[in-house]
Amino acid sequence: MKIKRLTCVIAAVAALVASPAFAQGKDKVVLLLNWYVYSEHAPFFLGKARGYFDQEGIDLDIQEGRGSGVTVQAVAAGTATFGYADVATMIKAASKGAPVTAVGVALQTSPMSVMGFADRNIRKPDDIKGKTVAVTPGDSMSQIWPLFLKKTGLKDSDFKTVSGDAQTKLNAVMNNQADLLLGYVMDQAIKLQDATHKDVYPIRFADYGVNMVSSGIIVQKDYVKAHPDVVKRFLRAATRSLEESAKNPEAAIDAMLKANPKSGVKETALVGMKNTAALYKGPDNPNDRPLRVGAKNMDETLALLVEYGGLDKASAGKATDYYTNDYLP
Amino acid sequence: MTTPTIRARNRPLWQRALLSPWARPVLLVLALLILWDLAIRLFKIPPYLIPSPWAVVQQLVNEWPKLLKESIPTTYATLGGFALSIAFGIPMALVIAYSRTIESFVYPLLVFSQSVPKIAIAPLFVVWFGFGIIPKVIAAFMLGFFPIVVSTVMGFKSVDPDMLDLARSMKASRLATFARISLPQALPSIFAGLKVSITLAVVGAVVGEFVGSNSGIGYLLQIANGNFDLPLMFAALTVLSAIGVVLFVAVDVVERLMIPWHASQRHGAVATA
Repeated sequence: MKIKRLTCVIAAVAALVASPAFAQGKDKVVLLLNWYVYSEHAPFFLGKARGYFDQEGIDLDIQEGRGSGVTVQAVAAGTATFGYADVATMIKAASKGAPVTAVGVALQTSPMSVMGFADRNIRKPDDIKGKTVAVTPGDSMSQIWPLFLKKTGLKDSDFKTVSGDAQTKLNAVMNNQADLLLGYVMDQAIKLQDATHKDVYPIRFADYGVNMVSSGIIVQKDYVKAHPDVVKRFLRAATRSLEESAKNPEAAIDAMLKANPKSGVKETALVGMKNTAALYKGPDNPNDRPLRVGAKNMDETLALLVEYGGLDKASAGKATDYYTNDYLP
Repeated sequence: MTTPTIRARNRPLWQRALLSPWARPVLLVLALLILWDLAIRLFKIPPYLIPSPWAVVQQLVNEWPKLLKESIPTTYATLGGFALSIAFGIPMALVIAYSRTIESFVYPLLVFSQSVPKIAIAPLFVVWFGFGIIPKVIAAFMLGFFPIVVSTVMGFKSVDPDMLDLARSMKASRLATFARISLPQALPSIFAGLKVSITLAVVGAVVGEFVGSNSGIGYLLQIANGNFDLPLMFAALTVLSAIGVVLFVAVDVVERLMIPWHASQRHGAVATA
């Protein structure tokens, strides 16, 4: 009698544990973002709210991150299924042996920029002369900064530099300890605006010939091999999410704010989403669907990483070692 | 009790060297390094998660000039914060120890302030004090201050009351009582606080550098982190810990010179904290 009851309990527990997976046949997937949620991530919330991922049989769990580096490490170690992270950072980790690959590149035009308050009238590289620039040592922007200087004919001695972490950069500009900071057009520019209600003018690196991809979707190599169908379904839903967010940024921001009320202010987040969508296309593939990156763009990114990003030439390999478009719709 | 000593003297030289107080921590470190290396090999931990000890040693050698250069500002900030901690901590502790009124006002607030996570307010130091060495000194001070106050208060409060009565009955002046009885009796616990303080001050200095700095070990750590250069990161951490150890030993030496009579100083050459 006792044993029978025990068997019943075990069976019931087993059924309970197994049921979500079997009954709905859904794959539970964790997407680890590169940072705390902000406008750039809105498409994933739109896709989740509209059921794009559900329809592909994917139960999506979106987690906030603490920097692209940590996200890449977590994906490489199998802690998260998918990562949304800076592809350049991923390439650096992969060249050091992390078994990860980019299966879709979201931002194909670099969001990197040097920005200050619009009332300071710093609108072209020449205006930077004599000013103070806040940078974060070791981050991707500080590494590409010398290339921007080279392309625009500026010298290190033309301006002053102060260094600090992500928050310090913002504080420094808000408190006039620095005139400019290195940041992303849809991230720091919005944060500055939200905090001070002053307009921010970003000088985009991309406008001065710095071509480099940015955020993308990364997966562990073994996972792609073992579950190609999950990756394909995820990317179908993600592509749809990005396309729809570009068409209807307001819906994307609404979905994000509904899931994460603290992630921004609607008006400025909307600007951030529009600025993000403007970066979905690279210079060499204007007609492709989102996430599908051009070979030339990736080659150039890798070349820049070798020259400026501290990537070892011997272990760099070729761009195709780091990305694939094979799983995209 | 003399037998073990005699037996120890009869041991061969290598055995005595192995068991000498200075060799012991070195041995333990070596054992830990071997364990670390073994763990990496056995569990096949990839180098982008944890570097091998050998790679760290290599970076330590290759990047030695840079590590040395960056350790100077960190040491300055640490010492500055430590000096501030002493300059503020000991007088404050004296006042707290001698006046119950002030104690009841100040002490709870002090404990409260200690529970504030310094890392959370460190970004504001840069806003308030700029990008120079001052925010790092203050971060070091914030961490190093509290242990000095607590142990100094404890030291002065645990002075033997009979001794104080004796001094009073012999009409000793307050200053003489303080200099001959209270201070000497409080010194051991003051030094205990100083030792905790100096190691925390190192951490504080690096927190300050992490938040905003153009130099120092904290700055180097940030760069190493950005480049996935884990061996360099661990090498920087090793140098940082070495700074902590050297400063700790320095305080220990001062302690031994100042209170050679105390029980904690009577036996052996090893630092007992």
